[in-house]
Amino acid sequence: MKNFKFKRSLTLIAVSSLLSITVVSIPTAAQAAPACTTANYVTTCLGATTDSAPYMLITPANFNGTVYLYSHGYRPNIPVPAGIPGYGGYTVTNTPEPAPGGNPQVIGALLAKGYAVMGSGFARQGWNVNSAANTNVELIGIYKKQYPKTTKVIAWGNSLGGFQSQYLAEKYPELISSAGVLCTVSNAPVVSDKAADALWLIKTFFDPTIKAGNYSAGTAGYAEAMGDLVKVFTVIGHFQAAIAADPIAPAWPATSKVPDALKAIPSRSALILSALLVGVPLQSAHFDGTSAPAGLPAANALSFQLAINPALAALENIANAAALATFQIYDLELQTGGTWYDNTKTDWAARVADERFIWASALSGESATNALLGYLAAVPKAEGNPVARAKVAGLGTHTGITKVPTVLYTGVADPLGTASEQQSIIDKYDAYLAQQWPANKNAAVRKRPVNNQLALWGIPAAKYTKFTAAGSPDTTVAAAPGTNHCNFTVAQYVAVAELLAYAANNGKNMSGGPLLTKLRKAGNMTYDRDYAAPRNKN
Amino acid sequence: MIRKSRRRGTWLAATVLAAGSLIATALPAHAETGVSSSEIKLGITLPLTGAASPGYNKIGNAMNAYFKYVNENGGVYGRKITLIQKNDEYSPQLSIAKTNELILKDKVFALVGPLGTANFTAVHKSVGLAKRGVPSLFLNTGFSGFAKKANYPASFMILPSYAMEAKIIAQFLKENHAGKKLGIVYQNDEFGIDGMGAFKAAGTKFDVTVPYTSGSQSAATAQTWVSQLAAGGAQVVVFFGVTSATAPLLAVAAGAKYAPQWILGSVGSDPLTLRALGVPVAVLNGAQTPAGNPSPNDTSDEYVKQFQEINTKYNTGTAFDDYVLQGMNIGLMTVQALRAAGPNPTRKGLTSAIETKGSTFASVAYSPLGYSKTSNVGHTGYYMAVMDANGDRKPFGGTVKLYTTDSGSGPVVLSTFKRPAMPAKGLPSNS
Repeated sequence: MKNFKFKRSLTLIAVSSLLSITVVSIPTAAQAAPACTTANYVTTCLGATTDSAPYMLITPANFNGTVYLYSHGYRPNIPVPAGIPGYGGYTVTNTPEPAPGGNPQVIGALLAKGYAVMGSGFARQGWNVNSAANTNVELIGIYKKQYPKTTKVIAWGNSLGGFQSQYLAEKYPELISSAGVLCTVSNAPVVSDKAADALWLIKTFFDPTIKAGNYSAGTAGYAEAMGDLVKVFTVIGHFQAAIAADPIAPAWPATSKVPDALKAIPSRSALILSALLVGVPLQSAHFDGTSAPAGLPAANALSFQLAINPALAALENIANAAALATFQIYDLELQTGGTWYDNTKTDWAARVADERFIWASALSGESATNALLGYLAAVPKAEGNPVARAKVAGLGTHTGITKVPTVLYTGVADPLGTASEQQSIIDKYDAYLAQQWPANKNAAVRKRPVNNQLALWGIPAAKYTKFTAAGSPDTTVAAAPGTNHCNFTVAQYVAVAELLAYAANNGKNMSGGPLLTKLRKAGNMTYDRDYAAPRNKN
Repeated sequence: MIRKSRRRGTWLAATVLAAGSLIATALPAHAETGVSSSEIKLGITLPLTGAASPGYNKIGNAMNAYFKYVNENGGVYGRKITLIQKNDEYSPQLSIAKTNELILKDKVFALVGPLGTANFTAVHKSVGLAKRGVPSLFLNTGFSGFAKKANYPASFMILPSYAMEAKIIAQFLKENHAGKKLGIVYQNDEFGIDGMGAFKAAGTKFDVTVPYTSGSQSAATAQTWVSQLAAGGAQVVVFFGVTSATAPLLAVAAGAKYAPQWILGSVGSDPLTLRALGVPVAVLNGAQTPAGNPSPNDTSDEYVKQFQEINTKYNTGTAFDDYVLQGMNIGLMTVQALRAAGPNPTRKGLTSAIETKGSTFASVAYSPLGYSKTSNVGHTGYYMAVMDANGDRKPFGGTVKLYTTDSGSGPVVLSTFKRPAMPAKGLPSNS
């Protein structure tokens, strides 16, 4: 993962694995056999699958028969012009990624133990579930053909690659022995709507000239999407300046067209409400949702704790969802042939039935919350094309039913709400297990179904916001563990890999003391069967 | 074959039983999270520092003082109670983190007296108290929503709900302040909304309505509240908020020579805390307030007398006020609940014990407790009191007239309920 910075030092995380780090000479056409070179007892093979997806196989001389198949995360399928904050200068790439971010330490740790690693760059970018699955299946065959001693394949991936890994575990259990599902998304309509909701709310509250879908055909549509991206960052930039100038009552953006009566409510409350409506956490890379600078008068400190810090967290997080939405809406409109986003049936108030009480201070009280929700209820809704919308549902949804051991791991304050996505997979699997035991009994199978899903969580510390000597939030420090998208350390990646190897070898997940010891050593990996992340709002 | 299989099954069963016996023998006398043969661990989250802490920061230490007293007198079935306090600074986000610590790291048996409506809502939702089966005893909040047993199966209120309080104030307004211009300042969240809904249902119409956002209270914001109340000509002002907001309201009003009849809600009316926050006693003189407990200065009350003695010995140097009284009373209720759960308490057993026996627990408050299999409602009533020139609280009209009601559409009725006597020496012996 790569971090991008934009003005005033607030750090915006990129969509997972936006850029690959490995620069190699990559074939662009399918090859009968990969081209291999060996150095330092490690053989690296490059090739392309039949759909022209470049791949890379890295195998140590002491190969132990187990290979890790890595699936990378979402990469936009359109270039981003230079100058756009966060993403400017991005070009579409299908560079193969054989491990998370191509991290040499992760690769080295696995190779040292005799494991091989592989991964492709996929044939298409953007939302690519179906084509990527085909590529992965073919790649497994290619590897086994190249290395006939292969006994086990372990699938793992980040973000959209987490989806791929879960998908393989559900659809192709005969091809893999275990799956690592990291900071995952779980369902095309849900994750797409979540991002699109964020963009629609920013448009509705802060800049109605944002198009947020229904993009024109051809280059005009591309320009509209990029224009939206610029406008999103303009709104975000406005908030940074406005909150810095007046944290209690930051001004509304000049582009906002909400009624003047609504503008009497601090604009930060509309931002907080937007985050809550989408399911974006109010803890972010640098804002814990609760700390205040030292030295403030007690009353001001309480305001900062209850209202300002959460608003800054919302700001830092929601930019990610809105930016992803721009890419995702554009891509899915191309794939489905129409305007798929639809919120005509969305009950915004129901989505914050509890949170409006918890965050009452940040929302400026009940009256303000009612006014903001009333505005959302009154404005015209986004109406999608039913045919296009139905096609989105066909772009990938998990069943949660896996026949091989899986390890799930995400930060609970991931800005894209992947904790809710992980929870959705857990819920589906639990439902499957709950109905499986009676089904077994009916079929005279006297065997309880074994829970082979190990769910891990990265939980941020209670307090981690840093302040400068002048009392300003310090956003130059590293993102806190448990926040940001796929914000994992090498130790955590290696721990997951080792858990997956154990699961592949034993047919079940590690448990008990050995599991807890491994998690403790890796740091910020919590196993708690009773923990449940907030459910997806849509 | 069949016979052989059966014989093998018998052998297997015998082996399992034997292993079970061994395990049972090897286990300590009791095995439940937070309970050992010598200790019961309990936890509380509350603001110990920060703007919202005045008064509230005494509750945990008061509970602890009572538990020390019980521990020195044999504990609960021989086990000593340990109370772990965590400072959440009144921040819901921090309440979640601190409660997680209590449950996952400290491994407490139950939560006792967690404070704050937004805080407990956040905790219950995010920590998954219901799923974990962690009992939450005697919440320090009166939000009527927590009485929904289906949503909060193992949580028990102790305070009358804010809706009950508003209904009783509404009745008092009708009986004593009819025809006057009414104003209200309320916390604009579920706390205030709970009360405002009940005022509306009771037909109370306020001429001036001033909502404030929790956390925004300060001298500056109080200026705007007082300006609105004075401009609207409010002669009787109900305040439905926290103490850290009462103090600037009264101080600013006094400075502006605005002196309506104040009716201070139970949450924000502790005289000692208000005086510590700079409110002159003369400003409090004559203020009316709903009260559930006797005055903390009423040494003729057997509960107050006993708790004052405990406070002197085990909470040295802490002035005895409503918060200390409330903390000690939660301690008393907790010990009765633990005893009712029996010598080998489990979380389920504790919940069940309160459901079946909790309504008979001794408590300093004058009104009945509403616990049952279908209800986690705590106390159900208030009497109206008035503050005197010494900052003390006396029953309005000279004697306690207790009104009871519910959080819904039930009537407000004058109650003849007689609270249970304080257990001998303040040490419960119930089972």
